[in-house]
Amino acid sequence: MVTVWLHDLMKKSNCIYCLSPFLFCRRQQYVGKVRFAHFDTHVQSSKKVVVATEKNVFAALNTRTGELFWRHVDKTGSEGNIDALLLQGADAVLVVGNGRLLRSWEVNIGGLNWEILLDSGSFQSACLVGQQDNVKYVAVLKKTVISLHYLSNGHQKWIENLPDSETVDYQAVYSGGNGEVYVLGVVPHSHIAVVVYSVDDGEILKQFSVEAAWLSNIQTSCAVVGKGMLTCVDSTTLSLYMLDLHTQLQMTQLPLQTLGLEVDPGFHPTLVSTQPNAARQPLSEFFLQLGPEHYVLLQLNNGQIVTLRDFKPAMLVSFATTGEKTVAAVMSPKNKTACGLNLFSADTGRRLLDTTLIFNMDPYGGKPETLYVQAFLKKDDSVGYRAIVQTEDHTLTFLQQPGRVMWTREEALSDVVTMEMVDLPLTGTQAELEGEFGKKADGLMSMVLKRLSSQFILLQAWVSHLWKLFYDARKPRSQVKNDVTIENLSRDEFNLQKMMVMVTASGKLFGIDSKTGTIVWKHYLDNIPSNAAFKLMVQRTTAHFPHPPQCTLLIKDKDTGLATLHVFNPIFGKKSHITPPALPQPILQSLLLPLMDQDYAKVLLLVDDQYKVSAFPSTKNVLQQLQEMASSIFFYLVDSSQGRLSGYRLRTDLSTELIWEVVIPPEIQRIVSVKGKRPNEHVHSQGRVMGDRSVLYKYLNPNLLAIVTESTDSHQERSFVGILLIDGVTGRIIHEAVQRKTKGPVHVVHSENWVVYEYWSTKSRRNEFSVIELYEGMELYNSTVFSSLDRPHAPQVLQQSYIFPSAISTLEATLTEKGITSRHLLIGLPSGGILSLPKMFLDPRRPEIVTEQSREENLIPYAPELPIRTEWYINYNQTISRVRGIYTAPSGLESTCLVVAYGLDIYQTRVYPSKQFDVLKDDYDYMLISSVLFALFFATMISKRLAEVKLLNRAWR
Amino acid sequence: MASPGGQGGGALSTRGGGGAKRMKWALELSLGNTRSRGDRQGGQGDVVYPIGYSEKPVPDTSIQETDKNLVEKRCWDVALGPLKQIPMNLFIMYMSGNTISIFPIMMVCMMAWRPIQALMSMSATFKLLESSSQQWLQGLVYLIGNLLGSALAIYKCQSMGLLPTHSSDWLAFIDPPQRMEIMGGGMVL
Repeated sequence: MVTVWLHDLMKKSNCIYCLSPFLFCRRQQYVGKVRFAHFDTHVQSSKKVVVATEKNVFAALNTRTGELFWRHVDKTGSEGNIDALLLQGADAVLVVGNGRLLRSWEVNIGGLNWEILLDSGSFQSACLVGQQDNVKYVAVLKKTVISLHYLSNGHQKWIENLPDSETVDYQAVYSGGNGEVYVLGVVPHSHIAVVVYSVDDGEILKQFSVEAAWLSNIQTSCAVVGKGMLTCVDSTTLSLYMLDLHTQLQMTQLPLQTLGLEVDPGFHPTLVSTQPNAARQPLSEFFLQLGPEHYVLLQLNNGQIVTLRDFKPAMLVSFATTGEKTVAAVMSPKNKTACGLNLFSADTGRRLLDTTLIFNMDPYGGKPETLYVQAFLKKDDSVGYRAIVQTEDHTLTFLQQPGRVMWTREEALSDVVTMEMVDLPLTGTQAELEGEFGKKADGLMSMVLKRLSSQFILLQAWVSHLWKLFYDARKPRSQVKNDVTIENLSRDEFNLQKMMVMVTASGKLFGIDSKTGTIVWKHYLDNIPSNAAFKLMVQRTTAHFPHPPQCTLLIKDKDTGLATLHVFNPIFGKKSHITPPALPQPILQSLLLPLMDQDYAKVLLLVDDQYKVSAFPSTKNVLQQLQEMASSIFFYLVDSSQGRLSGYRLRTDLSTELIWEVVIPPEIQRIVSVKGKRPNEHVHSQGRVMGDRSVLYKYLNPNLLAIVTESTDSHQERSFVGILLIDGVTGRIIHEAVQRKTKGPVHVVHSENWVVYEYWSTKSRRNEFSVIELYEGMELYNSTVFSSLDRPHAPQVLQQSYIFPSAISTLEATLTEKGITSRHLLIGLPSGGILSLPKMFLDPRRPEIVTEQSREENLIPYAPELPIRTEWYINYNQTISRVRGIYTAPSGLESTCLVVAYGLDIYQTRVYPSKQFDVLKDDYDYMLISSVLFALFFATMISKRLAEVKLLNRAWR
Repeated sequence: MASPGGQGGGALSTRGGGGAKRMKWALELSLGNTRSRGDRQGGQGDVVYPIGYSEKPVPDTSIQETDKNLVEKRCWDVALGPLKQIPMNLFIMYMSGNTISIFPIMMVCMMAWRPIQALMSMSATFKLLESSSQQWLQGLVYLIGNLLGSALAIYKCQSMGLLPTHSSDWLAFIDPPQRMEIMGGGMVL
């Protein structure tokens, strides 16, 4: 270790390092999967696209760059759910929270025009209502009522109860701009009910019902086309049904066969219509989707359906309107990796010239899912267009003719589930040198030659590096490119640059360079179940050169319990050629052992529901090692639904035996989280120095688990939060604490010899932190080995609680290479800040009465309130929305810890809990120091010479 | 004891002698053996001795005795030197206090270094004490004095907390214990 430190010191001395708070932190803002998107067209020069997403975010994107103009993040869950987005001029009307709120936003600057609270009732549909070419109102349909609001101020014009709302399921609202609002309801498998209201006073003008026994859902199978013709498609009878809403005649059935159309078997056909202006009637042209890749453009002409054009294959279609022209954009597959996008005139179905656009699909991405098209008139009156393609992996791609990708947004990153940081490989030359020693020796002479040649290569690389430095230094700083590509990815001097491997809920994996934040690789795993659980493990790091690094992602379908493994190279994202084992049994947990096979890959154990264990990789070597080690391999499983904690020991035949079990009655309390220690954590100091210079030794049990339970009774007098410290090998309960009159959510961090958790105190109505520290006492029981099976003495437990002035959304502790640096807690706040709170403040030994000894120990006197100092915010003014997790990783510098906060945004930075004690300051005066050194050196030389001359002269005298 | 006067005379006569060689004539008044004197005094010129001066020293026993006493005394001085330093050191120690800063550290270093240096050059000191009859006793006293001095320095270090006598001073050298069991797992996924 001393040599390592010396080495570090040597490195440090020639390190030229520049520090600026904003240099190493980077924030990327995301919006989530787009649900509604509208191009802002009210001004010709506008370059905005307004999006509302499934993450309850409403934002405007710059169509030139893909950056955000503004963004509004609403509450999570159904309360902030955006039900509808209607764009009229510069106003965007949103229905939020299942019809709870109606909001109007100004699109240019993102300001709120007005917001009104709607009556309760579940939201069904909303539409803009116009009269005489003037859109003035918005109609909101709920389960039992319909209301009309002014667009200008949100005031309610009228509200009417719907007739027979108990029996009729009202689903859609439509207005053709003639002063009437049509409410369409359905009694499933019986009839359609239509109620017509007058826009002016909400009076029921007409009310009728039409027989439609086949219909169950209007919104999925019907559309209004032309002059108020309700058109529906039925998949069982394979026919179109049409109903004129004005004349309210019988529904006419038109079998698709008479039109010469055929529906793909098992496909539910749908209709796509367009109403370019809310004050006018919809167009009489519409698309009918007959199969996954089959669309037909139809026209309603005097009650007759005319087929304008058959599109097969066609993946996506969309209408776009500019001025008086409406075009249909059709995306059709071209070959395996590219799609073609073409414009067709909507009223004739003719293809427009020069409108082909090629969309190259990412081979590691998903299939296109939705198409948003913005059409515009060129100077020569022809139609040009831009398109946003949303793919299955939540990527937005903005395309311009003739197929230029202006930008892409990886919205999957708004939902990171888990991540790891992997060291980058050494540079090619360094790797070559390492490889030389990795291989087996074949003769002395050839080894010497190899050595010489690799040294020569190193020298060459160094010279070229120097030359590049010199060359770059002459250029202005802004021009120096620091693009990161796979070719120039290499570890830096202090291992500060790493590869962030992120797993997102959509099943897309990302490799992001931690220094610049550029996405180096991405890989979309299709057929990921929607409720999958992920566990990412690094099986082999970059340290074993000729073998590539290897990560394994365990994907488990929570419904079936079946799991799959995805093995990949974390640096390049490529799927490994190693075939993961097939897992026919449901998998309960996995366990990464510190054992390695002959290729330096750590062994992964998978525990199935029969409590049998399978190993990956499972070579002979591994199985042999496992047999030798089996008696010292333990694992624990926590089943929160049954409240059962159980510990198992591995047998040599890879079966297991139950060795302990703890049952926490699930009807009283449920287990919310289990935290062990991080395997890569190092603790430098084995104890704490007291004021009298004796040592209080820490209880550093690597097998300790912290289990948090919450009471099922949520009454504020009876609710409680419990914490259980249990040894994972023996099942021995080390400590138990219950906080009465408190409730979750509990955030917990477990590290070294302490556990910090946070909860809400219902009694005092505040957030509280509690810290538990464990000590062995003044004597170490066994200083050389730690075995949970041989621990006769229970540790001393100290606990203290504090008031924290804010709610928190996530909690994590910093981590450094050797564990010398003091620890800080990183607290993600709902306000979007990340606070770095010194662990020193959460120390159960903080005394109430200050003594000489406690002062000697540098203990802060106890104060119930924990302060929040503004300089503790590590993200300054860069708010991070909805922080869900913080990941910390050590760097090569002991003082530095790499931090990634993820949630809706991703933020990466570095923290220095004990300041940068191992790095020279950036204002370090190299010039002065070196010149003084040189001057002194020369002065010594000269005076030495002079002294010699003088001595000689004296000898002569 | 008489040599400075003689030398002065010699020097004077040298000049005279040098001049005498170049003189045309010279008158020698003394009858002394100039040759032998010249040998003894490094070939210096002739000096006229006063009447009653004898070249042979007259043995003086009384002076010899006091000399011997003086040597003894000097030797005791040397031997007791370190012991005499101790009260002074105690005073300095008291004055400098127990805080760790540059000045007390320098003091302590000096206090510790001096006895060590003295102990290292013990043989030289013994040579100095050779002439004394109580050589061994004096040597012992000298040794004890120095040991006391260094003990004092160690005590000072101790009271300043510079000695690694507590378990906390060895804390950094304790390696983390090796874990015997491998454990893992978690919530059922």
